[in-house]
Amino acid sequence: MKYSFFPGCSLESTANDYKMSTQAVAKALGIHLEELPDWTCCGSTPAHATDAVLAAALPARNLLIAKDLGQDMIVCCASCYGRLAGANLAIVEDPQLRAQVAESIGREYSGGVKVRHFLQVLKEDFGLAEIRDMIVKPLGGLKVAAYYGCLLTRPKELCIVDDPEDPQLMEELLSAIGAEPVEWPFKTECCGASFSITRTDTVKRLCGEILRMAKDSGAEAIAVACPLCQTNLDLRQADIEKSTGEQFGLPVFYFTQLLGRALGLSDQELGIGKLITEPRVKV
Amino acid sequence: MPAIETIGKDLLKELDPDGRLNLTWCLQCGRCSAGCTMRQETDILPHQINRMILLGMKDELLKSKALWMCISCQTCLSRCPMKVDTPALIDKLHTMAESAPDDLRKVRVFNSVMLASMKRFGRVWELGMMGIYKLRALDLFSDLAKLPTMLKKGKFKLTPPSTKGKSAVADIFRRRAHR
Repeated sequence: MKYSFFPGCSLESTANDYKMSTQAVAKALGIHLEELPDWTCCGSTPAHATDAVLAAALPARNLLIAKDLGQDMIVCCASCYGRLAGANLAIVEDPQLRAQVAESIGREYSGGVKVRHFLQVLKEDFGLAEIRDMIVKPLGGLKVAAYYGCLLTRPKELCIVDDPEDPQLMEELLSAIGAEPVEWPFKTECCGASFSITRTDTVKRLCGEILRMAKDSGAEAIAVACPLCQTNLDLRQADIEKSTGEQFGLPVFYFTQLLGRALGLSDQELGIGKLITEPRVKV
Repeated sequence: MPAIETIGKDLLKELDPDGRLNLTWCLQCGRCSAGCTMRQETDILPHQINRMILLGMKDELLKSKALWMCISCQTCLSRCPMKVDTPALIDKLHTMAESAPDDLRKVRVFNSVMLASMKRFGRVWELGMMGIYKLRALDLFSDLAKLPTMLKKGKFKLTPPSTKGKSAVADIFRRRAHR
């Protein structure tokens, strides 16, 4: 199993624990992730809020590299996934956009690369039963709220799961590694993303609602698949507790960190020490 | 008095010339607005944006908070029975807006600082971007207390990213600016 791996800018810094744990887990499972050579930023929100062609051209430059390598492109960041998979689709569907993108890059991209999230690869290519067979330290029934946020499930065309309103993919993985996923209704709510910096109070309100619901649903931890979701729920958690007087104490893990623990990998390899909210529960 | 369906023809043509964004299919059912992440804080809800475009209310739209309050969560599009792509319409209105309301100026500053980082390095340098944002947004002290933790945990790279793809990205930006 060999793939082109697109880490994205966040996985190089605020979410470097997501990158470490993804690579460690892939290695343990024998999945070969080859970092896309000379990859560049997907454009993220500022590009699509400014110029639709730029927002497709920045991903397309990366898609062209993956196409030359002839491998599926694996993405972990939900925002990068949305931009890369979205541009991949839009360029094929819209000939005018395709021409404008070709003009901006100096080369035409006409589709042909599969953009996939690492969660999909774990289930569809590797198999959850196979993962279960490799578990050496099952998570002992740890109650986990799987939180997907926005861009892994929306819009429908890019959704990585069957049901965008009630995804189960992360829950299936959590069950396979010995955790107990909780049923809860806020798994696809929005955390407020980059408003964390520009409108912090908005993000504190949104994340407070998510943390409260996770706690009320019996969760001892949250599993995420997006750097912004992780940062907002983790970094802002103490501030929210301070302003509302509540106690959440919910560690916010990347799903790859939980999977890594179950595979017997060390905290160091998985970047567990980089979490802000200390995991008080034994994982 | 013009017939209602002709009132906003120009704005509709500008925003959805080939009907790809399905705006004229909007039923005004309000599912988009019921699920909007920012419904409590914004001034114009998604279904209202759709109708205001059809009515040609360009000035009101370009002055609205809603353009800058949208976090692109895609809930409105995802739940729309007619697949009206309101987030893409908001993006296009964004492009036309020359300024943001005062209390949302920071969102515009953030977007431009992040784009500048991409353009310069080919990738976003989070620490550098945050520094420049804070200077430009005149927001130096919020979250300053978090910096030591972030540094201690190795969550910020102290040096800018370096990728051979940098010049290709700069070329893309240059060609888009000179179009």
